[in-house]
Amino acid sequence: MKTLLRSQELSCPSCITKIERSLKSLDGVSEATVHFTTGRIEVEHDPERAEPGALVEAIRSAGHNASVAAF
Amino acid sequence: MQYLLDLWRNPARRRLALTILSGALILISLVAEYGFGLAATAYPLMVAAALIAGSDVALRAWSSLRSRYISIESLVTIAAAGTLVIGEAWEAAAVTFLFLLGATLEARTMERTRRTLQGLLELAPMSAIVLRDGRQVKVSPREVARGETVIVKPGATIPVDGEVIDGRAAVDEHAVTGESLAVEKEAEAPVYAGTIAQNGLLRVRAEGVGADTTLARIIQRVEEAQEARVPVQRFIDRFARWYTPAVIGLSVAVGLFFGDARLALTLLVIGCPGALVIAAPVAVVAGIGRAAQHGILIKGGAYLERAGKISALTLDKTGTLTEGRPRLTDVVTLAPVPTVAGKAPALESEGAEWSMAQRDVLRWAAIAESGSEHPLARPIVAAAETLEVVPQAESVAFSTGRGITATYDGHVIGVGSSGLMDELGIEVAPEARSALERLRHTGRTAVLVVLDGLVLGVLGIADTLRPGAREAVEQLRRAGARRIEMLTGDNARAIAEAVGVDAVQAELLPDQKLEHIRELQRQGPVVAMVGDGINDAPALATADVGIAMGAAGSDVAIETAPVALMSDDLDLLPQAVRLSPMTLRIIRQNLALALLTVGTLLLGVLFGYVDMAGGMLIHQLSVLLVVINGLRLMRA
Repeated sequence: MKTLLRSQELSCPSCITKIERSLKSLDGVSEATVHFTTGRIEVEHDPERAEPGALVEAIRSAGHNASVAAF
Repeated sequence: MQYLLDLWRNPARRRLALTILSGALILISLVAEYGFGLAATAYPLMVAAALIAGSDVALRAWSSLRSRYISIESLVTIAAAGTLVIGEAWEAAAVTFLFLLGATLEARTMERTRRTLQGLLELAPMSAIVLRDGRQVKVSPREVARGETVIVKPGATIPVDGEVIDGRAAVDEHAVTGESLAVEKEAEAPVYAGTIAQNGLLRVRAEGVGADTTLARIIQRVEEAQEARVPVQRFIDRFARWYTPAVIGLSVAVGLFFGDARLALTLLVIGCPGALVIAAPVAVVAGIGRAAQHGILIKGGAYLERAGKISALTLDKTGTLTEGRPRLTDVVTLAPVPTVAGKAPALESEGAEWSMAQRDVLRWAAIAESGSEHPLARPIVAAAETLEVVPQAESVAFSTGRGITATYDGHVIGVGSSGLMDELGIEVAPEARSALERLRHTGRTAVLVVLDGLVLGVLGIADTLRPGAREAVEQLRRAGARRIEMLTGDNARAIAEAVGVDAVQAELLPDQKLEHIRELQRQGPVVAMVGDGINDAPALATADVGIAMGAAGSDVAIETAPVALMSDDLDLLPQAVRLSPMTLRIIRQNLALALLTVGTLLLGVLFGYVDMAGGMLIHQLSVLLVVINGLRLMRA
């Protein structure tokens, strides 16, 4: 399943790798892409093992707030 | 305690709290320095301030180092740690505090640039009311299944793409088309997610849900465009990769050469590439976001860049400059008309489009055409229906390519070309022939109307110019398009004259249009083509900048055209073209500002005019200036 998250507060391009790594280290996440300019975060994951809330938590642990978006 | 824990877990607020805390400590320490018997606490307080502000910077430096990236935070951390070691607590505290403050402010202003899209995102529906087993259930718009019936209450945002089953409402579609005027919707009308039903209740059959809606596609396209890099940006990305290690190298070299650790550390701080790295993206995001707010989709910085350098512009006629729907434009009366039996003569109303005599000609023609599906029948019947109810003809006979004959109430009506008149054995007077000729000359399709062997008049039908077409062409010329041409499949020099284009390429087949674009490309650098997206697809794809009109709801246009105007409003075109040089100008200004700041500061440091804290302040100010300069585009 693909989940879209948005963060409005990415301020350094170097945070991207950090967030991607912490998402990918979650069990059940197969792919994670962070777009700096728009703050869009795309995650390909298995909702059984990693639910959307866990994704938000992983991004927060990397130092940024994000929320799940439908559009 | 719980509050503190929450504070710690929210990164943005944690940063803000750390900034305030370290700022307060710096102040107290500065005051303590001036005595009050507290002078001894000044130094430890300053160290504490440096450690508090530095902890966040160091943490971020560490995590980017772990992903093998030497970030700006690394430079600041090394510099702050170094100054602490050589006992300059004030410098260390000032640098880390200013850096943290700058980062906080920068995140806030960056957020404002991203907000150009926020308008669209805020329009995204939050919930949907679905009819399940006869009950109304409230669900997330993602959970609506295709084919389900969605209830849209007055004032609610439509949560899905679909078709109205029943109900009636004025729908504000500006999220999708950029058009501010509400559109009346009733059964069978298409509706889009993100549009707002202003009054009235709608029942909608869901056809597209979540990511499969026009709104989602628009948002996705805009974001992908904002993420795509302009060429100058790619250069800076490569540059930044080498720049940061180079600054470290330079500082070490200078430090060793002069044996001055303080100078080396100052260089480290001054060399931060902050403003340089965001100079271009901030402008691209603001420019593309601004365009999206107006209903112009631009698929990336590269197109935004090219749109400002258009050397030749070709406009498709039908559907682009004109409305693409023929309309009745002229009614020429030639003979007095007998009134239809049983119909009371209507009163001449003032300011009416047609006189009484013209109305009668129109009425007879409409009766004959009412049963016809011919493209020319529709505008005649539509014009008559705005005046009165048109009765059905009793019998109709078609004469292919010539016209139609019909009977009504004992009368024989004929509508068609002079060929039809020959067929019917009706003589066409010179007066009628010259009326036919005159209408044809001005680009109209002209037909004769006869009643019982008598030529009543001539009707002129034409595809009419969109309002504002002439002004749009004029503005495009002022925005820099040197040569403006019109491409058309038919012959329409009259339209070309009315619009004021430089040349007309008439009677072109689709692949001839494409060939013509290639020809123009040989003559000038950037050729733009404006079309309505479907029949012009090959030409749009060949042009350097393909611009699709009225793309709302048309997936093909949103997916393929590099620039898509969401509504049929021609005014958007010059706006799109003007936005481009503005964005480029702001990128250049930003780059100049960033380079100038770093250059001046470097010189200032080497000649001893700038110290570490002052340098950090100016550096952070330059970052903020770059972001604020980008924000100017949002008012464009």
